[in-house]
Amino acid sequence: MTEDTENLNSNSAGPAVTDKGLALWEVISVISSCLIAQWALVPIAPGHGFVKAVPILLAFGFMIFSHWYRGETLRAIGFRLDNFVAAGRILLLPTVGAVTLVLILGWSLSNEAGFVLRPLKPQLLLLPFWALIQQYALQGFINRRLQMSVGKGLKVTLLVGLLFALLHLPNPLLTSLTLLGGLIWAAAYQRHPNLFVLGISHALISLTLALVIPPGVINSLRVGFRYFN
Amino acid sequence: MQYKAKMSKPSLNLVHVLVAKSIIETLFVSTLVVVYFLDVFPHIHGWGEVTPPTISGWALNSRNPNERVEVQLFVDNKFVARTIASQSWPEIVEGGWSKDEWHGFTIPVSAIESGYHEARVYAIHDSGGGARKTLQLVGHPLRFQVMPDGTLKSLEPSSRRSRVATPEKSID
Repeated sequence: MTEDTENLNSNSAGPAVTDKGLALWEVISVISSCLIAQWALVPIAPGHGFVKAVPILLAFGFMIFSHWYRGETLRAIGFRLDNFVAAGRILLLPTVGAVTLVLILGWSLSNEAGFVLRPLKPQLLLLPFWALIQQYALQGFINRRLQMSVGKGLKVTLLVGLLFALLHLPNPLLTSLTLLGGLIWAAAYQRHPNLFVLGISHALISLTLALVIPPGVINSLRVGFRYFN
Repeated sequence: MQYKAKMSKPSLNLVHVLVAKSIIETLFVSTLVVVYFLDVFPHIHGWGEVTPPTISGWALNSRNPNERVEVQLFVDNKFVARTIASQSWPEIVEGGWSKDEWHGFTIPVSAIESGYHEARVYAIHDSGGGARKTLQLVGHPLRFQVMPDGTLKSLEPSSRRSRVATPEKSID
């Protein structure tokens, strides 16, 4: 069994549902939970963060159950260090390129006052953790389940990129950047599944984005219904 | 670092968990939608009529009868005036709508050109800590004519003020 296909075998779900269909159903279920939180709950329960947390917690609870059910190890999911350097080597150039692209974008969008870095807010310190969580859900779960469903390759890479972009609608800049990022991270994960490297890459790009792009352009990184607030 | 491998086959099938998750989410969102709807659009009972100098009536939030409802008058879809429905209107008590009669309103209508018009009275409701305001039509649209001397003449079949409003018969 190779590094990237480890633990992708799965248990039979029963005679009525094929395993490929079940894996796809799992992806749809997790994505729908995120969409419910972003689009349905924000307008009907504004200011009640705990309400939004319910579908997210359900999705995470389900993902953990699914890993357990399928006998997937943390190592197989990508929480590992043995391929850290290999994964880092793949992602170094795209990450540097993305950070440079964001810096150029920030510089071109800056007004007459000039290009200035905004102060580091305390909540940005949580960014690495949040990036790791997102990469776990996106790659450690969705990418793996899509591989089970449609097989490893470009198709899965495209689907992961599109789904990641979908979750950042309707913010145009974030949607475009996450499509690009999703494609790169999905391709990298398929070669060397290491969520720590992906989390670092994600956090660096997000941090640069938050510090150099004017808030009006990215609407303070708001997505879903909150984008319109 | 090793994720704990499955030791025995779990009793719960993945399909069952997926179905359960979907049901929980559906019930959760449905409940929130119902709560949201009841909060944003409370059941406003009310009624209006045209009298020669005014448009008057009553408005009551049946979920919170102690609230004095704000009403706004629109004539031909244009805002005219606002007031709080806090005047005496004894028929409300007689009809069993509320224990107190202080839900009436009277809005003088002037400076409207002669001719045929339509008035609508809306009850205003705040929700979400003032984040939202909703308008609900009180009663039904009131058609009237402004006479050359400036008085209003109702074009409704008959005035219903004389009739005691009962929960079964009143328009809400």
